[in-house]
Amino acid sequence: MRSSIAAQIAIATLFGTSACADATDTPATPAYALLDEAGTKLREDFNRAGGSVRLLFVVDPVCAVCLRGLDDLNRALFASTDDPRLQTFVVHVPVIGAEAKDILPASRLLPNPHVRHYWNPSGAFGRQLAEATGLRRGDELVYAWDVWLIYGPNVTWDGALPPRPQRLMHQLPTLQGNAEFPRLDAGAFARETRRLIAELPALPTRQ
Amino acid sequence: MNEKARVLGAAGGALGLGGFAAALCLCCSVPWVVALLGVTGAVAFARLAFLIPYALIGSFILLAAGFWLANRRPVTCAEDGRAGASRRGLQWLVWIAAALVTALSAVALILSP
Repeated sequence: MRSSIAAQIAIATLFGTSACADATDTPATPAYALLDEAGTKLREDFNRAGGSVRLLFVVDPVCAVCLRGLDDLNRALFASTDDPRLQTFVVHVPVIGAEAKDILPASRLLPNPHVRHYWNPSGAFGRQLAEATGLRRGDELVYAWDVWLIYGPNVTWDGALPPRPQRLMHQLPTLQGNAEFPRLDAGAFARETRRLIAELPALPTRQ
Repeated sequence: MNEKARVLGAAGGALGLGGFAAALCLCCSVPWVVALLGVTGAVAFARLAFLIPYALIGSFILLAAGFWLANRRPVTCAEDGRAGASRRGLQWLVWIAAALVTALSAVALILSP
């Protein structure tokens, strides 16, 4: 009886530690923050990162095309820099049925220390961003997902809605041919981001 | 290769390519790609999107070949009329394949990423 209890405790401990290991012991594993209806956490992080170039991506982590976009940008931009003057925020929304468990595998496509992930289970952020950016097809608002935004260093998120970006690219068929919002071109996106970073004060050199 | 196998090959190939194009187009609208192939596989699959027009063109070429094979004048005629009945069956088959390819192409064009 005693050995059976000991075995149960051992098994529980083993499972307990492995669960904790997933959450805390692996610093390379990016965590995600839960985003409320007002986007409070993202707004705080966005404003705290003022003075740096900020990128905002809105994706569904089970959308293959969104994942390809993340991978394209990783190859074109993130793989070659860990510059802290570039801060990136990825908001995951459940447009085609994603769940919170899908974020971790998707986040591995951007193994950069300055990328933060958010989970917005209600999907409200996509509507807010669409309204803020004027993402429309005719008179109809187009839900903002699979969108890729660049913000300059001086932008502040003051109001209820996110600020207007310097550049917005997308991979949405409904916005095909839209002159204001071009289709995602990872090379062009990376070039524009690098140009903005180059305009910032240089980082202090390490001794 | 006999006539029946050629027609079946052309119709099957047309359906396969049409299905492939539709699957590539659906990959942004349904979550099954990530569930089936994982993140890396889904990214690789999404990278094949450039093949969609080629797959559709190939599908219609095979369909045209199927129609031609099923409707051309037979080299030899069977006296009992069974060859004619078999040919009508093949023609129906190609028409069904054409309807399915058209439906798959419509899906592909509507959902094209």
